[in-house]
Amino acid sequence: MARRQAVTAWLFLSPAVVFFPLMFFLPIGSQLNAALFGGVTSSEYVGAGNFTRALADPEVLHSFLITLGFAAGSLVVGIVLGLLLALVLNQSLPGRTLFRAVILIPYLTSISIIGLLWRNILDPQVGILNRLLDAVGLPGQAWLSTHPLATIIGIEVWATVGYTMVLFLAGLQGIPEVYFEAARIDGAGPWRRFLHLTLPLLAPTTLFVSIIGVIGALQQFALPYIVTGGGPGNDTSLYAHRVFRVAFNDNQFGYASALSLLLLVVILVLSVVQLKIGDRTHDGA
Amino acid sequence: MYSSLTSSRLSRRAALRLGLGTTVLGAVGAGAACAPVTPDTGGGQGEGTFTIYWNAGHAYDAYQQVIDQFGKDHDLVVNWQKFQWPDLTTKLVADFRSGNVPDLVEEPGTASIQYGVQGNVMALDDLAANTDIGFPDDFLPESILARQHEGKTYAVPLHLTANGLLFYNRTMLADAGFDTPPTTWEEFREVALGTTRDDVSGFAVNSDYSYSAPWYLQHEVTFASVEDGDFLVPRERGDEVYEFLQRLVHTDHVSPAPVATTDYSGPQKLFSAGRAAMFLTGPWDLGPVRQGSPDIDLGVAEPLTGTVQASSMAGAGLMIPTQAKDPELSWELVGRLTALETELAATAATGMSMPRRSWADSPEVAGDEVLSTVAAAVGLVRAESTELAARGVQTQVNDLFKAAYEAMIIQGRPVAETLDGFREQARGVLG
Repeated sequence: MARRQAVTAWLFLSPAVVFFPLMFFLPIGSQLNAALFGGVTSSEYVGAGNFTRALADPEVLHSFLITLGFAAGSLVVGIVLGLLLALVLNQSLPGRTLFRAVILIPYLTSISIIGLLWRNILDPQVGILNRLLDAVGLPGQAWLSTHPLATIIGIEVWATVGYTMVLFLAGLQGIPEVYFEAARIDGAGPWRRFLHLTLPLLAPTTLFVSIIGVIGALQQFALPYIVTGGGPGNDTSLYAHRVFRVAFNDNQFGYASALSLLLLVVILVLSVVQLKIGDRTHDGA
Repeated sequence: MYSSLTSSRLSRRAALRLGLGTTVLGAVGAGAACAPVTPDTGGGQGEGTFTIYWNAGHAYDAYQQVIDQFGKDHDLVVNWQKFQWPDLTTKLVADFRSGNVPDLVEEPGTASIQYGVQGNVMALDDLAANTDIGFPDDFLPESILARQHEGKTYAVPLHLTANGLLFYNRTMLADAGFDTPPTTWEEFREVALGTTRDDVSGFAVNSDYSYSAPWYLQHEVTFASVEDGDFLVPRERGDEVYEFLQRLVHTDHVSPAPVATTDYSGPQKLFSAGRAAMFLTGPWDLGPVRQGSPDIDLGVAEPLTGTVQASSMAGAGLMIPTQAKDPELSWELVGRLTALETELAATAATGMSMPRRSWADSPEVAGDEVLSTVAAAVGLVRAESTELAARGVQTQVNDLFKAAYEAMIIQGRPVAETLDGFREQARGVLG
């Protein structure tokens, strides 16, 4: 009986056992090989040279730092806005289903379309946003020139906040109503109920949103590529965009592979740290 | 009852196992399909398919007709894929790595030398010697020299264009009291100041760094002095060029600061919308302006004069990957696409200028006011060194200069400091 269960279990697992090594671990191994041998087809062993070079490369450090800024900004603003929207749209309001759907639409839209859309909206001369500002007597802004990273963060939040809202809505609806009734009977006001009930009970959702958000933000490529081309200067050349440029502009696939692997390590470490913090918070709660 | 049913039919568990087994086999099969395979030298397209990579902005009807006829004549399915330049370059680099290459590629600028030196595209001299398509004798030498290295030619020019043509709105200039377009930098600044209004800019500078090439060539500045390991030299003059441009944008406010983007059509759009009186570009913008704003009284003037009158060379070529399945077939299409009648048909429809001497001499070109101005600008082209491309660092240096240009022109950062930083970084790339 145990043997039959084991066979059934392995049968269930086998798609993943085949898929993950083939589509993830093998390419990662290939990346490592390219990093150690200086390129995809190179046979010259360079060892850790590409990795040490990356750690001393000011351009890489710059792109990494602005990527951290991008991740932090989009995560914090995205979580706050997503939670606020979820709290509002969790109420019995007329038309709330429609609002939920509308807010989710950007998340369902192709990132290429979002990039092109915002590039046109934000154009200082012919963009609709400056036209609107002009119509109400406000001066036009060169958003992508004066605050390029903040603008890219804004677009990212706009595109993903619907998904964050849905996750928080699911989390909110999973909290038993009896907790809130008990708190009300004990005299807790809305703010105390939010602070001492809602927030702690949403911790698993917040953790999930954080991990997914950080991973997505650190890997962000399409927005700077489409909206700003990494500019002006290198102000929006996020890490993944930098890796792309090293590979396809500079033709240095070995170095680009090393940069990719370093990003993988950073993402793994950050994810583990977040999980540990989440575990501790959960235990504490 | 239950057991009798299950004995005669597939049990639920057995069905589940069967389904899982099928899933696993499917996953393995799909995985095998995704696994690295030996590349098909026919571009992965199979027999009877001919693959072309092309710039999306150059997919003219004249070329479509030639390609259609080529496919019919050889009973081929022609897979004509169109990309923006950056995407074309990315795909091509990946293709060269995988060995899964197209049969013919449109080449931006001098990229063919870099690919040729790396062994990814073939030298075309032997193919040219064995056929009579007028190459190289009927082509302007500048267009060929830009694609040659150590006596080998890696691309045949398709378009030869000059960047630095002055497009101006005759009505706006006349309303501001200027009967003729500016010819020098100071006149240009004066006209730009005179035509700037609340919602109209006298000039629209391009966000693309390559559009600044005419300016430094007109100031007798060399972009890359590879033997000295220096850039934009003489340095003082190089700085003066970008200080002048920066002043137009950030001090005189005669041009809006452009937006960092991969799209270089911003000035054309402003001009077509009646929001800019002048911009500097090449003949590729003739079509968009004429078609987009037929009401604008468009004037086209020769490139400006700084210390000298000059334009920068632009254009495209055709190159054949080394691993193309039938280079002679590819070469035949090169001949058809660069034939004089094809060039003239493309010019008639789009205004694009071409590299053949016989094109410049043809009555259709010589008798047209705008085209003759374009031809004159082509004659003012100053050839630039191809050494960066030959060393395989052209794109790296361009990338660095793009960042510096955006910092100066878009963000208004100090010119001397920014250019010194660029020079230092670019010198590092040279090694």
